Amino acid sequence: MNMLDARTWLADHGDYLFRVARRQLHSDELAEDAVQETLLAAIEAQARYAGDASPRTWLTGILKHKIVDLIRRQMREAEIPREEDGEEAVDSLFKQDGHWAEPLRPWGNPQTEAELSQLRRVLDECADRLKPVMAQVFSLREVAGLETEEICKELNITPTNCWVLLHRARLFMRQCLELNGFSKAGAA
Amino acid sequence: MKWIPTCRETTKLASRAMDERLPFADRMAMRLHLAICENCTRFNRQLQEMRRLFRSETAADDNAPGLAPEARQRIATEVQNKLGS
Repeated sequence: MNMLDARTWLADHGDYLFRVARRQLHSDELAEDAVQETLLAAIEAQARYAGDASPRTWLTGILKHKIVDLIRRQMREAEIPREEDGEEAVDSLFKQDGHWAEPLRPWGNPQTEAELSQLRRVLDECADRLKPVMAQVFSLREVAGLETEEICKELNITPTNCWVLLHRARLFMRQCLELNGFSKAGAA
Repeated sequence: MKWIPTCRETTKLASRAMDERLPFADRMAMRLHLAICENCTRFNRQLQEMRRLFRSETAADDNAPGLAPEARQRIATEVQNKLGS
């Protein structure tokens, strides 16, 4: 049985929760809100803590919901990109006849921890550069691993809109990664 | 030949295939295109590689910045208030 002591949560898990949230929300401010709301909700829910998960795992579970809440709230304020918006950016990647405008370069095959850590930094930086809602839908799918169906339902967008956002996000991410050091002689 | 999609259309199919099982006709169309297109084959592989990298890194990248001191202070105050109430 793990013991809960709300007074040590921030010190013990604050940075961890912040990093998890930051990677999915792409904003320091929103990630700070997510940590705060998680801790406050956890204090209220303490009595229901069963003690079979570690406090960190338990808190991370609460955080997941708070992240989705925050994205949903943000979507109400920010404008959801419509399907036809942003297609020009995709146009630049392809020729008129639908072929790639530029050949795709192969990615390197990183092995060492240092190389991998460098790539992770590039991954996060590229994801930060996506437009807000697109970045968050992308992260819910690729980082948090939610099913698209769940994402649509939680954020109240149509599956088509979801696929369009994900498709564009992936095209831009791939290009950003190629331009920022992913492509090297080697496999992939 | 309309039944072989363009690269642009194929990227759409490849992306969607990352999220759900494609209908049979789409799956075949994508397969036909990939058989003749090196770029799209690479694109498809890179989508999978991207996911692998994102998911394998687990969120606990200890090198990433943590909470800023001001934010930590603010949250500590909120937590205190909540515990005191």
